[in-house]
Amino acid sequence: MTTAHDRVATDRTDATEDGNGPGAAETDPPLSVRGLSKTFGEGEEAVRAVDDVSLDVEPGTVVGVLGPNGAGKTTLIKSILGLVVADEGDVRLAGADVSDEPRAAYARVGAMLEGARNVYWRLTVRENLEYFAAIGGESPSAVDDRHDALLEQLSLAEKADETVNDLSRGQKQKVSLACALARNVEVAFLDEPTLGLDVESAVDLRREIRRLADQEDMTIVLSSHDMDVVQEVCDRVVIMADGEVIADDAVADLIDVFRTAAYRVVVGRAEVGAGADATPPDGTGAEVLDDDTRERLRETYGVGAFDDRGDRTAFEVSLGDPQRFYELMDALRAADLTVHAVESVDPDLEEVFLELTGGDGSSRASDAGRSGRAARADGGDRP
Amino acid sequence: MSTGTADSGEGVTGDRRTRAGERERGTGSLRTLLWAQLKKRLLLMYRYPLNTLTGLAMNFVFFGMIFFGGRAVAGQALTDSLGGIIVGYFLWSMALGAFSGVARSVTKESEWGTLEQLYMSPFGYGRVMVASVAVALLETLAWGAATLAFMLAVTGEALHLPVATVLVLTLFAIAPAVGLGFFFGGLALVYKRVENIFNVMQFVLVGLIAAPTVGVVWVRLLPITQGSYLLTLAMAEGLRLWELPPADLALLVGTAVVYFGVGYAAFQRLGVRARRQGLMGHY
Repeated sequence: MTTAHDRVATDRTDATEDGNGPGAAETDPPLSVRGLSKTFGEGEEAVRAVDDVSLDVEPGTVVGVLGPNGAGKTTLIKSILGLVVADEGDVRLAGADVSDEPRAAYARVGAMLEGARNVYWRLTVRENLEYFAAIGGESPSAVDDRHDALLEQLSLAEKADETVNDLSRGQKQKVSLACALARNVEVAFLDEPTLGLDVESAVDLRREIRRLADQEDMTIVLSSHDMDVVQEVCDRVVIMADGEVIADDAVADLIDVFRTAAYRVVVGRAEVGAGADATPPDGTGAEVLDDDTRERLRETYGVGAFDDRGDRTAFEVSLGDPQRFYELMDALRAADLTVHAVESVDPDLEEVFLELTGGDGSSRASDAGRSGRAARADGGDRP
Repeated sequence: MSTGTADSGEGVTGDRRTRAGERERGTGSLRTLLWAQLKKRLLLMYRYPLNTLTGLAMNFVFFGMIFFGGRAVAGQALTDSLGGIIVGYFLWSMALGAFSGVARSVTKESEWGTLEQLYMSPFGYGRVMVASVAVALLETLAWGAATLAFMLAVTGEALHLPVATVLVLTLFAIAPAVGLGFFFGGLALVYKRVENIFNVMQFVLVGLIAAPTVGVVWVRLLPITQGSYLLTLAMAEGLRLWELPPADLALLVGTAVVYFGVGYAAFQRLGVRARRQGLMGHY
């Protein structure tokens, strides 16, 4: 898969080869974070909200920050923006150090942090756009066309002269996004941009986010609980738990790590002919798998639950090394079982996320390594 | 804002460079910021005329209560000090407007969820707030002038109104109130719910404006007090700026600069503290 990441890397190579060697500002990625840490409170009550986070984001990339509640997503974004003063670490936004030159950084950054609350509800949609463009350092008249285009793309053109207070929640949220983009920005931060939106508004927002990255080369960092949004819109995903980044990779690659060797296997007793049913209609009778076989499958292959259905039993198994699939097949035949079906289980981002965060939000960082890349480099072992 | 030059490269990379140049350049100036703040305020006043007129009417009614109530109770005593009361009330409404323009706006922006957006302005949060204060002062001056006209019409009192002198003295007189507004606005960033302090400040301002200055020099070091003293002098006796004692003017400017400066510095420090504690966007 060619990601925006790859695309940008190619563009840069071309520029260098053309002799238009990039200057310092061009080699700086739009967002660069090094060793960012933030602890709230002191002593036993101290909470490490962001723990030694480092990442670079290339132009035109949409990065999704995922994590359970309290994982540190919002604190990370606010620390990057300087709205929360970090204890350690450096952040460069659009080539400017956020601590030393915040105004230079903010000149090229837009953010939507409070959803629909980000705007003035008593002003009209267009008045909000003009106001936020102006305090963002842009003369509103100079970005009139941009505002028209934004309103059109977000299906707000007909509402331009209505006060925000009179709009639906989804429309308010879209106004908020429009205001974050009311002037030319290089990097946009969107905290839960689709939270509480109806399906239609969410689709509009997703389409617009993707368009901004693809057509305007904008770098976008968004946090979301909505896995579908992240999977559909983002080029790359950063998964956080307990303030740490536990995975950081292209969405497709991260899913691939988990896709490589997950199967749903349906087995039956070898002596029972296909189509015959040795089990009474009430479902009672001998089980397909005896206890010893179940235990062996659990211990050797990490099988979790078994789904017994009459003369068939199904189970899911994840195998790090594809070679182990053949070992499993041999083991099942050795146990006098017939394999009726084997389906490759395609995980989605939600399953990846739950796997990495332990499902209940507890991190498996130590198992997973620091990133999805690390997991893949180890031969695709499921963390 | 920093400026940058757009490169004339071609293709994807060239386009990106051009866009980066445009982004750096920007087209806004401080005038853009001021106009944005003024326009927002005017739009809100226009869109909610009842609220605007009620605010002004309350000012008139409150003065009417003081005047007619005081005359019924104190009679001649009130008439003798009417000039002082009018000047005091004018200054109080101005100082309160300036104080609230800063302090309450921090609370409101925080409540609305727009505070962080203002903080991220490339102009700098301090300048955004100063622009907001400038607009609040303009509004306060307009309301103050209307209130003054109302008071003079109701009481039949005649005051000397050397406009330039009154304007300059008023601005310096309420500068400490702006400083106090910044200080309490900073406290609002950290502690959020400080409305009760704001309410108490209404009475504190009355005390500062009415504080006796004759024979008690140190009182003039308090915020607004020296301004109140000089404004009364100018409006009651018709003295022009250059006719006022230079030492008194120096003290006025000194207290204005110090209180405004200290308040603004405290606001910045408290802003950093709020960001350290992750409280900037909280309410």
